[in-house]
Amino acid sequence: MAKHGGWAGKVLRVDLSTGRISTEDTIEKYKDFLGGTGIGYKVIWDEVPIGTKPFDPANKVVFGVGPLAGTGAPCNGRTAVTTLWPTCWPKPLVASGHMGGHFAAELKYAGFDAIIIEGRADRPVWLQVADGKVEIKDARRLWGQGIRRTTVEINQQMGPEASVAAIGQAGENLVPMSVVMNSYSHSAGGIGGVMGSKNLKAIGVRGTGSVRIAGNKGEWEKVVKLHLSLLGSVNQHVVPNSPQPWAEYYGVTRWVGSRGRKWGAAEPSIETGECDPRNLNRISYRTNNAVFFLGEKAWQYTVRGNGCTSCPIRCHTMLKVPAVSSKYGIPAVGQNTCAGLILGRDFFKAFPDGPMGQTAIEACMVGMHLADDLGIWENYGQMQRDFKELYYNGTIKNKVGENEFKSYSWDKYEKGDPSFLFELLTRIADKEGELATALGLGTGYHLERWGIPEQEWQKDQKVAYWKMGHPKHHSNEDAGQCGVIINTQYNRDAQCHSHVNFTRNGLPIEVQKRLAAEIWGSSDAVDALAAYTPMNISKAKMAKWSLLRKELHDSLSLCNWMGPWIASPLKERDYRGDDSIESLLYSLATGDKKSREELDKVAERIFLLHRALTIRYMETKEMRAQHDTVPDWVFTDPASKASFTQGTNRMDKEDIKLAMDMYYEEMGWDKKTGSPTAAAYRKLGLGNVADELAKRGLLP
Amino acid sequence: MSPENEKHEILERTRNYVDGNHLFSRREFLLISGVMVVAVSSLEARGAKETPLIIMDQAKGLVIADPTKCVGCRRCELACTEFNDGKASPTIARIKVRRNLNFGPKGLDTGQRGQGNWGNGLVIQDLCKQCPHPVPCANACPNDAIVVSPTTRARVVDPNKCTGSKMCLRACPWEMLSFDTDTNKATKCFLCDGNPKCVEACPSEALSYVAWRDLTDKAPPRVIPTAVVPPEKAQTCNDCHKK
Repeated sequence: MAKHGGWAGKVLRVDLSTGRISTEDTIEKYKDFLGGTGIGYKVIWDEVPIGTKPFDPANKVVFGVGPLAGTGAPCNGRTAVTTLWPTCWPKPLVASGHMGGHFAAELKYAGFDAIIIEGRADRPVWLQVADGKVEIKDARRLWGQGIRRTTVEINQQMGPEASVAAIGQAGENLVPMSVVMNSYSHSAGGIGGVMGSKNLKAIGVRGTGSVRIAGNKGEWEKVVKLHLSLLGSVNQHVVPNSPQPWAEYYGVTRWVGSRGRKWGAAEPSIETGECDPRNLNRISYRTNNAVFFLGEKAWQYTVRGNGCTSCPIRCHTMLKVPAVSSKYGIPAVGQNTCAGLILGRDFFKAFPDGPMGQTAIEACMVGMHLADDLGIWENYGQMQRDFKELYYNGTIKNKVGENEFKSYSWDKYEKGDPSFLFELLTRIADKEGELATALGLGTGYHLERWGIPEQEWQKDQKVAYWKMGHPKHHSNEDAGQCGVIINTQYNRDAQCHSHVNFTRNGLPIEVQKRLAAEIWGSSDAVDALAAYTPMNISKAKMAKWSLLRKELHDSLSLCNWMGPWIASPLKERDYRGDDSIESLLYSLATGDKKSREELDKVAERIFLLHRALTIRYMETKEMRAQHDTVPDWVFTDPASKASFTQGTNRMDKEDIKLAMDMYYEEMGWDKKTGSPTAAAYRKLGLGNVADELAKRGLLP
Repeated sequence: MSPENEKHEILERTRNYVDGNHLFSRREFLLISGVMVVAVSSLEARGAKETPLIIMDQAKGLVIADPTKCVGCRRCELACTEFNDGKASPTIARIKVRRNLNFGPKGLDTGQRGQGNWGNGLVIQDLCKQCPHPVPCANACPNDAIVVSPTTRARVVDPNKCTGSKMCLRACPWEMLSFDTDTNKATKCFLCDGNPKCVEACPSEALSYVAWRDLTDKAPPRVIPTAVVPPEKAQTCNDCHKK
């Protein structure tokens, strides 16, 4: 049994070039970085040389989970996959993709906290990890197969319980816009091509072991039940979207369950009901992301919710749409969530029966069927926004040859016929032709290839592009300056939900302000949506807190698409959540007692290492000017409304400068360059990191 | 009811198992495999040391499941093992979802068109049926380590008696026994002494704790049991059932 609770205790290292398989002690080497992205950043920092390209054998891929993965802590199903990012433009930098499903738990039960993949195999292989026994297996017969076929064949060898993370044809063909996927519908974007470059088709994991809870099991049960009691619906929306007998408020939220709304394709159908938050046996009926994204019509097609190990919030929706079998020859059942769910629909500008009609749903079904088998990534919808923009402004016609242009059924496309996706998505996976190849590069490299300046994309609000090849992800539209700061910090879309899971939780602004004052010191931290006020220090505190909690969640294996849990649906708690739930879970699971503040320090160390990695690979300390940039559209409004007036998300340039000043100050970084000081690194035990950056002249 | 009458009734019921239109009698393999050698101890001698333990009591309750409501989160497996054993361990969970989650109970034989996440979405939760007499796991135990819980009359493993022979694992047609490699003991559903953690943990109300009823003829077996009944128990069976 492992020394500590929580952790499995070992990190697996596989060198595909030599076939060498080894293990490391998690506690000895990685405890200061918890797990997940923490281990990922540490490995890249220690081991991947400057100048390495994502598809070089010298790049490494780290599948990391944390001490809470595989336990009964709610929402712990996510695996962080860290590597040098192939769609980060103009230069690849470190980033991570995150997949849910059952892979994380299974990896722990198999005895590992992380898998480090290095080198490149000389022929296609897959990795079998079964209860501590690890083998590199021949994958030549799997090469060329989709993710579904690959998974089934590996399950035939390893047994039906194994969790298989596989790439499709897109990854094999080194398409940067490709995923690794496990448990049918859970993917990590950007990773497919990196695995493909290593000739690694899949990782199959099977474990019969356990994760020990170090603390008293009665105490653990209490904390788990406390956590469950604080849950809302997906994205921690704590208010239902329709009036309920128990509810004081309702609002625009993803809490869609209600009496009269049914999982219509369950046999027989199942009423979702009132979903009183005090009834912990009905948590799973609150969420239906298909309905949130596709409209009321999706109820009739809902078989049930689905999702990750241990998570009662089922953010994936399993849909059964019988018509798609005869119309498109695809299975009637499909499932995914959010961006993956609407992948197919988002390529189209319009449908004959409107954006929430039957055709839109069918486009989603076709999109999921194709993209989740070929292993295509959509970069939070940026691929589709680019495609629409470039088609309707005539660029595609100009940039691809006449023959190629004619080979697409544009009449079908313009009519909103989902069968168009069969033409487009298969070609993206195969890099067939100019259009498909360019789309598969990701926005930054695509624009560069076609000679379109990045600034063009940064002007246009509806394209929603931010920087470095990636889109906005919950920015000013969700949290004003706090959202803007967060969107400047990463090397891909920010993927941070700490802030938006609070600002969009559905509670009235007065209640949000009361809670905000308790967490960030002032009710001024939050504004009503689209009624933003000028920058203040509590907004900077909220931004820092949000970023640290994101890294904490990605390292502990808690879901930052659900957490943090600082608000709850419970009136008797005055809608308070608990800001210390992470440290309570961590301390009991591992036996390493840490307060909320102490654990946030660990999170800050992890976040700082990400910053140091970014600085090292960019080879500049001028982060403020060259990295932490804000696109022009943030400072515009479609109706030319002024900043800080009712009904606009428009930000003000000088105010955002102040926001960045306050943020850097709050972090203890140099305001001029936006780089952490040597003292900031040392304070968090990263003295060696400071030393290396000093040698390279990368400290402010 | 007098002891004699009760004994008579039990014998009648037992005959039904053997002769009647019951799953066990229909499934000859069970008989051939030697597990289902039916036995009834004399009521007076029950519990006496020299007589092998033969469980006659019915359990008071059992956990039943609705597969159409299961969302595949496995919180039941985790509650079962964390709150009882202090570790997250689906392998020893007394409710078993993982094995059916991807492809259904038939595994990959039905391919993508089967059950589970890869098929029609239906997740079958496997649960202990708290079998009526003859209790396959208890009868197969060479140490009489599977006993009746005083509170729920669930069939439970007495860890002090269990020597880890795993005979019970081979005896259950539904593969509901588990082996804990940390303790080197078998373990099975003990109904959490009347307050099942799995039922409490289910976020989609797919599990219920109800009055016991016989489900042994409702659920198809997962495997052909391969355990044998120890000779002294088989003798007791013969003693009771000879005509």
